[in-house]
Amino acid sequence: MMKRRSLFAVAGMLLAGFSLSGAPAQADALADIAARGTIRIGVPQDYPPFGSVGTDMNLKGLDIDMATMIGEKMGAKVEFVPVTLPNRIPYLQTNKVDLIISSLGKNAEREKAVDFTQAYAPFFNGVFAPKDVKIEKPEDLSGKTIAVTRGAIEDFALSKIAPPDADIKRFEDNNGTMSAFLAGQTEVIVTGNVHAAAILEKNPPKRPELKFLMNKSPCYIGLNKNEAGLKDKVNAIISEAKKDGTLAGFIDKWLHQELPADL
Amino acid sequence: MTEFTTWDILRNLLLATRWTLVLSLVSFVGGGLLGVLLLFLRIGRARIGRIFVKYYVELFQGTPLLMQLFLAFFGLGLFGIDVPPWLAAGTALILWTAAFLAEIWRGCVEAVVKGQWEASASLGMGYLQQMRWVILPQAFKIAIPPTVGFSVQVIKGTALTSIIGFVELSKAGTVVTNATFEPFTVYGFVALIYFAICWPLSKSSQMLERKLNVAHRNH
Amino acid sequence: MHYQFDFGWVADYYPVFLKGIWITLELTFVATVLGVLVGIACAWARTQGPAWLRPLPIAYIELIRNTPFIIQLFFIFFGLPGLGFSLSGMEAALLAMVVNLGAYSAEIVRAGIQATPRGQFEAGSSLGMNRLQVFRHVVLVPALQRIWPALSSQAIIVMLGSAVVSQIAAEDLTFAANYIQSRTFRAFEAYFISTAIYLLLAIALRYVLAGIGSLIFPRRAVR
Repeated sequence: MMKRRSLFAVAGMLLAGFSLSGAPAQADALADIAARGTIRIGVPQDYPPFGSVGTDMNLKGLDIDMATMIGEKMGAKVEFVPVTLPNRIPYLQTNKVDLIISSLGKNAEREKAVDFTQAYAPFFNGVFAPKDVKIEKPEDLSGKTIAVTRGAIEDFALSKIAPPDADIKRFEDNNGTMSAFLAGQTEVIVTGNVHAAAILEKNPPKRPELKFLMNKSPCYIGLNKNEAGLKDKVNAIISEAKKDGTLAGFIDKWLHQELPADL
Repeated sequence: MTEFTTWDILRNLLLATRWTLVLSLVSFVGGGLLGVLLLFLRIGRARIGRIFVKYYVELFQGTPLLMQLFLAFFGLGLFGIDVPPWLAAGTALILWTAAFLAEIWRGCVEAVVKGQWEASASLGMGYLQQMRWVILPQAFKIAIPPTVGFSVQVIKGTALTSIIGFVELSKAGTVVTNATFEPFTVYGFVALIYFAICWPLSKSSQMLERKLNVAHRNH
Repeated sequence: MHYQFDFGWVADYYPVFLKGIWITLELTFVATVLGVLVGIACAWARTQGPAWLRPLPIAYIELIRNTPFIIQLFFIFFGLPGLGFSLSGMEAALLAMVVNLGAYSAEIVRAGIQATPRGQFEAGSSLGMNRLQVFRHVVLVPALQRIWPALSSQAIIVMLGSAVVSQIAAEDLTFAANYIQSRTFRAFEAYFISTAIYLLLAIALRYVLAGIGSLIFPRRAVR
C-alpha cells in the first residue's frame, strides 16, 4: 500500500514545515521607510473615486492623492501597491505595505488586527438597486440577491441587518461585485455611497440608485500595531492637511462634497 | 469621466501581456532547472532522494495552484520574508512547474526500454555513463513534445497570479472591465490573446509528437 | 511583528469548511459526469461523425485547451449576461467546468478510440451493427477502459482547478477559506487548512476512481 503511506507522509511533511513557525524581527516602520527612501502604500485599483485606472492604466483617485501627499510630506518616494479589499489587512500583517490607504473603515474586528490613524474622508454604506426594485428597509431585502465585496465593512454591516432568506453573494473584489451587479447577476448591490455615485456618472446599463443608507463608516489609514512613530507622523500630516485645506481640496475634487467638520 | 475606446482596451491588454510572457518564461525556465534536479533525485540511486521527490510531486500535483500561490504570498511574509506579488507568483509557479516537468521527464526516462539498460551494462558502462550516453539522449527526444505541451499549462497557470494582485493579462482584464463595464469585449479579447500565445505551442507540440512517432516507426 | 499561529477559530468555523467541501465535491462530480459525456460526443463527432460536423469539435477543443480556465469562467459569468444569458455563480461555475473538462476528455477519449484496431470496426459491421452500435460496443467501452486512468487524473485536475470558482462567489472550499480569512484575519492558517483538505480530497478521489474503475471494468483482456 505505497499510496496510503504516501498520504500520511505528505501530511507529515506539511506539519513539519508548519511547525517551523516564524518569528520575524521587531521592526520600526518609520526607520525602515527612511532607510529605503520609499514608502509602500496599499491602494485600491478597482474602486472609483478612491482608486481606479485611466486609459493609460495609471492609478487615480482620492486614495492615490492622499498617498502621494503623505509620501511628499515624509520625503519618501511612494510605491503604490494595488490591493484588493479583502486582502488589505493581510497585506499589512505580512508586511507587504507600510500603510493601507484604501477607503478602509474601522470596526471592532479590524481593530484587533491593525491600527488606525484619524479619519480622512467621509463614507456611508448603502443599499443600491435599479429604480424598479422596491426596497426601503432591511426587511425588504428578503429573497433578493445582493452583491457585496467580501470582508468589506459593508459586508459585516449587511450580514447583521439582512433577513435570513436574503441571498448574499460575496465577491472577491469590487471588480467582481460591480461587474456582477451591472451584468444583472444580482438585483441589489451594497457598497459605498460615493462609489455608487462614481458608477452612476458613467451611465451604466444597470443604475445603482440609493435605496437606504446602512451606516456611516469614515475612511481611515491603516497601519500595523506597535508602530507609534509612523502613526504619529501620519496623524500629524492628516491634521495639517485638514488645517491648510489640502484635504478639503481632495474631497471636493473626488467626492464632490465638503469636508465634514466632525471628521 | 474617461472613456475607453476599443483600441484603448486592446492596447492596455497587450501591454499587460508582457508580464504574462515574462512570468511564463521565468517560471518555465526556473521550473525546468529545478525539474532537472528533481528528475535526477527521482531516478537516482539514493532512496531518500527518490522518496523526497515523490512526495514533492504528490504535494504540488495534489493541491490547487491557487492555494500554493496564496500560501507563498501570505505564508512567506509571516516568516519575515518580504515577498512582492511578482516574487510570490514566480516562486509558486517555479515550484509547481518543476513538479510537473520532473514527473513528465521521469515518464520519458522510464519509456526508454529496459533492454537498453541491459545492453549498455553489458558494454561495461557504469550508471553515469549509461545515463549520459544511452538513456538521457533517447529520453530527451521523447521528452520534447510533452514539455512544449506543458508550457501551455504554465502560461495558463500565470492567469491565477492575478488573484494575488500581480498585474498581468488577466488582472488587466478585470481592472479594465471595471473601468469600462464591457466584460464581454474585454474577456473576449483576453481569451483571444491567450489563444494566440498558446495555440502555436500546442500545435507545435502535436507536430513534434507526430514527427517523433513517424521517426520511431521507421526504425 | 511577531506572528502567532492561531487555530482556535477552527471550532467556530468548521461548518463553513464542511459546506465548502461539499460544494467542491458536488461541482466536481456533476462536472465530471457531464464533461465526459460532452467529451464522448465530441470524440464521436470528430472521428465518426459526418464531415461537415468535424470542424466544430476541433474549434471548441482548441479554444478551450488554449485559454485559462479563469478567463472562461469570467467570460461565462460576466460576459454572457451582455448577450442576455445570465447564470448564477454556481451555474456559471458548473458550466465552465463542464465546458473545460469536455474539451480535455474529448482528446483523451479520441486517443482511446484511435487505439482501437481497424479490424474491430469491420468485425463489428460484419455482425450487422450500425455505425452507432459499432461505436458504442466495439469502440467506446474498450476505449473507456483504456483511458480510465487518464480520465481520473483529469477529474482530479478539474477539482483542483475549481478553486478559482470562488472568484465568482460560488461558495466552494476556497471560498470558505477566503470567507474565514476575512472574518478572522487568519489568512495563512485558513489557506493552510484548505490546502491540506484539497490534498486529502485529491488522494481520496484517486482511490475512489481507481476502485470504481476496477468495479465497472472487471479484469478483462486489457491490451
